[in-house]
Amino acid sequence: MINIKFYGTGGQGVVTAGKVLSQAVSLYEDKYAITVPAYGHERRGAPVNTSIIIDDEPVLVNSFVYKPDYVMVLDPGVLIHKVNVGAGITEDSILVLNAESDEVIDKFREFGFKTIYAVDGTGLALEHIGLPIPNGSMLGALAATGLVDIESIEKAINYFFGKKAGEKNGKAARAAYENVKKA
Amino acid sequence: MAYVMLDGNMAAAEAIKLARVKVISAYPITPQSSVPEMLADFVNEGKMDAQYVRVESEHSALSVATTAAMAGSRAATATASNGLALMHEVLGMTAGNRVPIVMPVVNRGIAAPWTLWCEHGDSMCERDMGWLQFYSQNVQEILDLILMAYRVCEDARVLLPAMVCLDGFFLSHSMQKVDVPDQTLVDEFIGEFKNKNTYLDPNDPMFLCDLTGNEEYTEMRYQQKVALDAVPKVVEEVFAEFNKKFGRSYKIVEGYQTEDADAVLVALGSMCGTAKYVVNKMRKEGKKVGLVKVTMFRPFPLSHIKKAIGNAPVVGVFDRSTGLGSLGGPVWNEVAAAMRRSNCEIYPYIGGIGGRDVTVENLEGIFNELLDLKDGKKAENTTWFDLKGNPMEIRQVYQNV
Repeated sequence: MINIKFYGTGGQGVVTAGKVLSQAVSLYEDKYAITVPAYGHERRGAPVNTSIIIDDEPVLVNSFVYKPDYVMVLDPGVLIHKVNVGAGITEDSILVLNAESDEVIDKFREFGFKTIYAVDGTGLALEHIGLPIPNGSMLGALAATGLVDIESIEKAINYFFGKKAGEKNGKAARAAYENVKKA
Repeated sequence: MAYVMLDGNMAAAEAIKLARVKVISAYPITPQSSVPEMLADFVNEGKMDAQYVRVESEHSALSVATTAAMAGSRAATATASNGLALMHEVLGMTAGNRVPIVMPVVNRGIAAPWTLWCEHGDSMCERDMGWLQFYSQNVQEILDLILMAYRVCEDARVLLPAMVCLDGFFLSHSMQKVDVPDQTLVDEFIGEFKNKNTYLDPNDPMFLCDLTGNEEYTEMRYQQKVALDAVPKVVEEVFAEFNKKFGRSYKIVEGYQTEDADAVLVALGSMCGTAKYVVNKMRKEGKKVGLVKVTMFRPFPLSHIKKAIGNAPVVGVFDRSTGLGSLGGPVWNEVAAAMRRSNCEIYPYIGGIGGRDVTVENLEGIFNELLDLKDGKKAENTTWFDLKGNPMEIRQVYQNV
């Protein structure tokens, strides 16, 4: 059982990203996944998170993820809201970070992740979609960790975003997959 | 059959579509809103041959659905929380007039304080209104239970309405892998809607819902009781037929690792999945614990509960509602009454309300406490087990107290 947590802010498609990942592994990789989104008083700009659990057999647990094996931060701005993205991590937990510079990466080192994958997800989103919405690109970065195949992510993105937006988001995902670096 | 990814609300809407409902009248309320939204889309896009009636409240929503069914159409609505509370009066109309509506209820607490999030307090308030109640563990169960509920409710031996309850957000907004059956198989399984017994037909008029004196009222209530008594047998038949046709097995009450258990927990809803995970984990550690999962709470399945609890010496009952002013939560009350001639100790647990997560740690804590109670290491249980340390200091008022 693999436990995953996505952090970001309202309006960035954090919850959708969770659903895309779930579909990618459930329908295209013969696994099982559930999303447990933590809905709050929804508003644009407020910190949000979503939990995803993946397993080779049907997932029994229906509860938020407290000990994530993978953490993905779609918006480094969650630090302004004092969100502890290192909550519950183990020494093997992996961070996938949307970071436009080394300074941003350095700010996240204090959480104690041994492995950090970083890419400028927002920049790639602007380049390929024309909008600063990094959920598609960051899912590509997540695929680079080996958690899920990039092809599965591309298929799921196409399903959720439709043909036109799906193609652009798929390209953003592929670009992030190819450009993400261990930091 | 094909696997698709659906959240709980999508599964409920899909089931209503598969049942070929002809009249929909629903009023949106968080976290149910996407059910009427999706049904409106289905009708608008021609995926459903149904009339969508826009209403101004839940009271009207159920009134329209109930009378539409009496006039000969399979009708649907869905609600949650305060919306269900506003339906309260009409719930009695639906059940008393013996109208087989199947209604998804997305469980959410009732204000005040305002909450948008999961608890069973809304449906538990309506448990004695003469409706059947089913509680879903996961998204697949929502779809399957709704399909099966149509068969049960419309059976001539029953003719009663049912709520299919799904936990707000934990199921309504949880996306899961779901096996959606073929329309032709569902058509064969559910069949066409046909009024039985009571109906509205200008060519064959009858009095319905008229003022009933005390010379008949008791007997009419008794007829409802007789219909509810018939439900478990009908449900078992329908579950068996569903299993044969669709390959998924259901039980009115499921005993999970209960046979040799030192302690069992009775629970309902999405927490049952987490509880099964915890049972598996603790069994590996040599701790004999088990789960009694209540899928059908109304009518209360007495013999099924007794059989599933078996000889377990210690029983915990997890209510996701408070039963304020009562001896315990509603499920505990009823399990305690059911087991009154047994030798087991039955402890109430209340938690997971207003959206508070029922975690692996919580459930493990409850099972460990039950084992301690059995071994005499503890004398009393912690009923409000997920209460924070300082409850009386929350929003404390300092002036004019």
